[in-house]
Amino acid sequence: MTACDVIVIGGGHNGLVTAAALAQKGRAVTLLEQHDVLGGLAVGDEFHPGFVSAGPWHDASTLSPGVLSLLDLDVASSPESVFAPQRAEDGPGLLLHHDPGRAAEEIARHSEQDAHRYGDYRAFIDRIRPFLRGLLETCPPTPNSIWSLIGPGLRLRRLGRADMLEFLRVGPMCMADWLNEYFQCEMLSSTLALPALAGTRTGPWSPGNATNLLRYEALSHVGISGDAPAVIRALEDHARRQGVTIRTGTRVTGIRTVGGSVQGVTLEGGETIDATVVAASCDPKQTLLDLIGPTALAPRMSQRIRTVRASGAMAMVDLALSGPLRFACRPELDVARARLVGTLDEVERAYDATKYGQYSTEPMLEVVVPTLGNPTMAPEGCHVASIMVHFAPHDLKSGWSEEDSAAMADVVVNRLSTVVPGVRDLILSRRVRTPVDLEARYRVTGGHVHHVEQALDQMIVRPDFECGRYATPIGGLYLCGSGSHPGGGLTGLPGMLAAETVLCQL
Amino acid sequence: MTTKQYDAIIVGGGHNGLVCAAYLARAGRKVLVLERRHVLGGAAVSEELHPGFHFSVCSYVVSLFRPRIIRDLDLARHGLEMLPLESSFTPLPDGRSLCRWPEWHRTRREIARFSKRDADVYPEFGMAMAKMAFFARELVDQPAPDPTSLKIKDLHRLLRLGNQMRSLGPDMMQLNMQLLTMSSSEFLDLWFESDVLKAPMSVSGIIGTFLGVRSPGTAYVLLHHYMGEIDGAFRSWGFVKGGTGQLSNAVASAARSFGAEIRADSPVERVLLHDGEAQGVVLENGDEIRAKIVVSGVDPRRTFLGMVGEDHLEDEFVTRLRRYKYRGSSGKVNLAVDRLPEFACRPNENGRAEHLRGDIAIAPSIEYLEKAYDEAKYGDFSRRPYINVVIPSVLDPSVAPPGKHIVSCFVQYAPYHIKEGAQYWPERREAFGDAVVDTLEEYCPGFKDSILYRQVLTPWDLEQEFGLTEGNIFHGELSPEQLLFQRPVSGWAHYRTPIRRLWMCGSGTHPGGGIMGAPGMLAAEAILGTRET
Repeated sequence: MTACDVIVIGGGHNGLVTAAALAQKGRAVTLLEQHDVLGGLAVGDEFHPGFVSAGPWHDASTLSPGVLSLLDLDVASSPESVFAPQRAEDGPGLLLHHDPGRAAEEIARHSEQDAHRYGDYRAFIDRIRPFLRGLLETCPPTPNSIWSLIGPGLRLRRLGRADMLEFLRVGPMCMADWLNEYFQCEMLSSTLALPALAGTRTGPWSPGNATNLLRYEALSHVGISGDAPAVIRALEDHARRQGVTIRTGTRVTGIRTVGGSVQGVTLEGGETIDATVVAASCDPKQTLLDLIGPTALAPRMSQRIRTVRASGAMAMVDLALSGPLRFACRPELDVARARLVGTLDEVERAYDATKYGQYSTEPMLEVVVPTLGNPTMAPEGCHVASIMVHFAPHDLKSGWSEEDSAAMADVVVNRLSTVVPGVRDLILSRRVRTPVDLEARYRVTGGHVHHVEQALDQMIVRPDFECGRYATPIGGLYLCGSGSHPGGGLTGLPGMLAAETVLCQL
Repeated sequence: MTTKQYDAIIVGGGHNGLVCAAYLARAGRKVLVLERRHVLGGAAVSEELHPGFHFSVCSYVVSLFRPRIIRDLDLARHGLEMLPLESSFTPLPDGRSLCRWPEWHRTRREIARFSKRDADVYPEFGMAMAKMAFFARELVDQPAPDPTSLKIKDLHRLLRLGNQMRSLGPDMMQLNMQLLTMSSSEFLDLWFESDVLKAPMSVSGIIGTFLGVRSPGTAYVLLHHYMGEIDGAFRSWGFVKGGTGQLSNAVASAARSFGAEIRADSPVERVLLHDGEAQGVVLENGDEIRAKIVVSGVDPRRTFLGMVGEDHLEDEFVTRLRRYKYRGSSGKVNLAVDRLPEFACRPNENGRAEHLRGDIAIAPSIEYLEKAYDEAKYGDFSRRPYINVVIPSVLDPSVAPPGKHIVSCFVQYAPYHIKEGAQYWPERREAFGDAVVDTLEEYCPGFKDSILYRQVLTPWDLEQEFGLTEGNIFHGELSPEQLLFQRPVSGWAHYRTPIRRLWMCGSGTHPGGGIMGAPGMLAAEAILGTRET
């Protein structure tokens, strides 16, 4: 038996952030990661000899400035452009740059008015960003403490009346209604909507998810070369510098409690480690229902955690390619990020399938080519395409069989080949991972990449009223993963805020 | 040209216009109500469409009508009588059925046939919801506080609401937040397991909106069911004796008794403006009628873009009005039948049918409802729609000839914007009616043969006939961004408008649609609080 001050369960980006922040304040921190590599959902793995995939969280543009300032990373002022391809006979596609000035010419190829409106859209987001960031980068407000409400209230007022009203109006809307107010070109709307729909079980017409879009837009602010894997490497270096003891290949099987407080953890194989504080960056359901003994939590609380929605709807297909992806509509472009979207209604139809326990036969795809930024992820001249597939539900009605996943992968490759006609000839190998596979590989309940569904009712109060501010009803046990405020994505914020809470209460 | 001077002209003799008129007249103002149609009541109207059959053409049940109005206007004396619904029946295609009764033990036995656990949870759920509803009532009976305003009155009300919410305790607070943000089906998933119970309960969240039971934000409307009250008796829905129009008639009669003048067949063409100030109205026949103020009970789009005109409004206001969403989603099929319908899954006993003395929901499963929504989402009416059936003649034999009955079907979804374009609705009307009758025929074999008369109202008809823009029965969707201080447009939620001396009092203002009367009452109070009349 060994002992330390703090045990952090899970070596994903949030776990690393929490561990480093606590170690920095002089605590003896041990971080336990079940896999041999750190990084959780932000890293992929070798799926074909010499070919390494991207992780489900490839987008590093949302990393919070607070975490970013701690790390030594190569940063650009705006996120990388995204390409929305079309079939060559339909049009030139849309290369969307974050900056409206640089995007204008591209958008104008589809609609002059939209090019102008895109500026308005970005300007509105820039104006409300300080407020949103304030909300996302602090402990969530709670009606139990008037003080926690005053801060956000004042920041909201600082927006001025017009923007304040606009924010209150837009928040509960659906993305489609809101984007339709700005844009005529639905390809532009869908391209903007997709990252905010990713991993959730909502479609463009689901009310309330304009908030998801606002959240994503407020968070996404930089381009990081090397993307998620580079961030994870930097986080690991940082954590080690702060003196965190990192143990990989170490799986936690239980959190031991005594008299309503944590005592330590039990590892696979029976080894135990004692600590007075345990910060769990794994998902809340796993932490509070699986790792904690069944009697430690009040039945009412267990019941509530059980009803937290955490069923994923995103699958992944990784392709090992013998050459670069060339989109027929713009063969000259080297595309690192593509979003294969249709009209908003088509995106909605793709989402509809999940409601009936089916995967979409016309899915929306986000294609990431990590080898463009980091050629070491594939043999020379070869490439990897990691494709996020929306929507494919964890709870497929018939259950996921081999045939189902193969059929889904065929659908994905077919869809890709409409815009990259020769893609089939490039494929050396392919790997399909359904949400069930993702659940097994990353050990996240329901295969939900946000840990917990990103919906209004699970946003500020996340995952539950009584553990929505990182502390749980069990003394010394804290949540520090994506299942806590402000939610999923490569932000490092849940980890940072959880560490602050631990330090306040220690 | 009439030179007679009124204190207030109310445009539109719907129930809110009439309530507003009655309150203003009661306070001694000289009031004129102008109604376009030949009958009063707007969508709360009864008409004898087939000899001997008095149909509640649009609105068919009442629950949210504010008890305070009944007292203030002494409506009982003016002939208002309510008949509470006695059950809530859900037939299933597989021969089973569920009926919920006012007596708890009977409901429990019914639910236990599907799930024992649900039967146990049901009363707990009801109690939690009733507690929430009590809180929500606070919001309905007063003007909506504006969180962006710095006025002491608004801040005080917000603080009060906050405190009331806090006093509910953490469990209730979480419930409250879930209610405001979740979909009705997911919210019910937190409590129940059996679809047959969840489906008919969840539909109250979608009535009149273009959303499905799985769309977030639909849960809070569940509260309406627990907020329903008939003259103070909490949680009940009912018919108005003689048809819904009798409610409008009672309010009209009260208004007249206070001295209000009410004219039917008097369509208003526009609001008479001078220097950006309303001075009266111009009728379609050219008559000008002047008054100190004009109050519009008509929906916001018709009021401003129709009767005021864009030229007199700021661009920003016009933009916001255009963004205000209507997109009606429901239709109505009214049937006269020569015998009581008989459901295969629960046959009538010797002509008696207790389970038909309430509302009947064709909502066999969540998936059924969601599929109906998906069809509508892409511009078609549902082939197998959600139907809320009531047979008012069972409780109130006066509305139909002896032995015969009225079957009133509220049908969702019938989207205003079908893919061919809304103007093509007349061509599709009968197909829509057939879909409804065919659906009922599946549950009640032989039902088709009993039909003597059929009236099909599509959203297009609701717009053309009753002046409901895009056929929205609530004068605009009841979605969170169009409620409270943002209804109809943020900054103009307190019945005032950018045009001086022009006011709003219809369902397009807080607290919204349904036969509540609250917008009319609150508008009248706001008007009486100024010196404009």
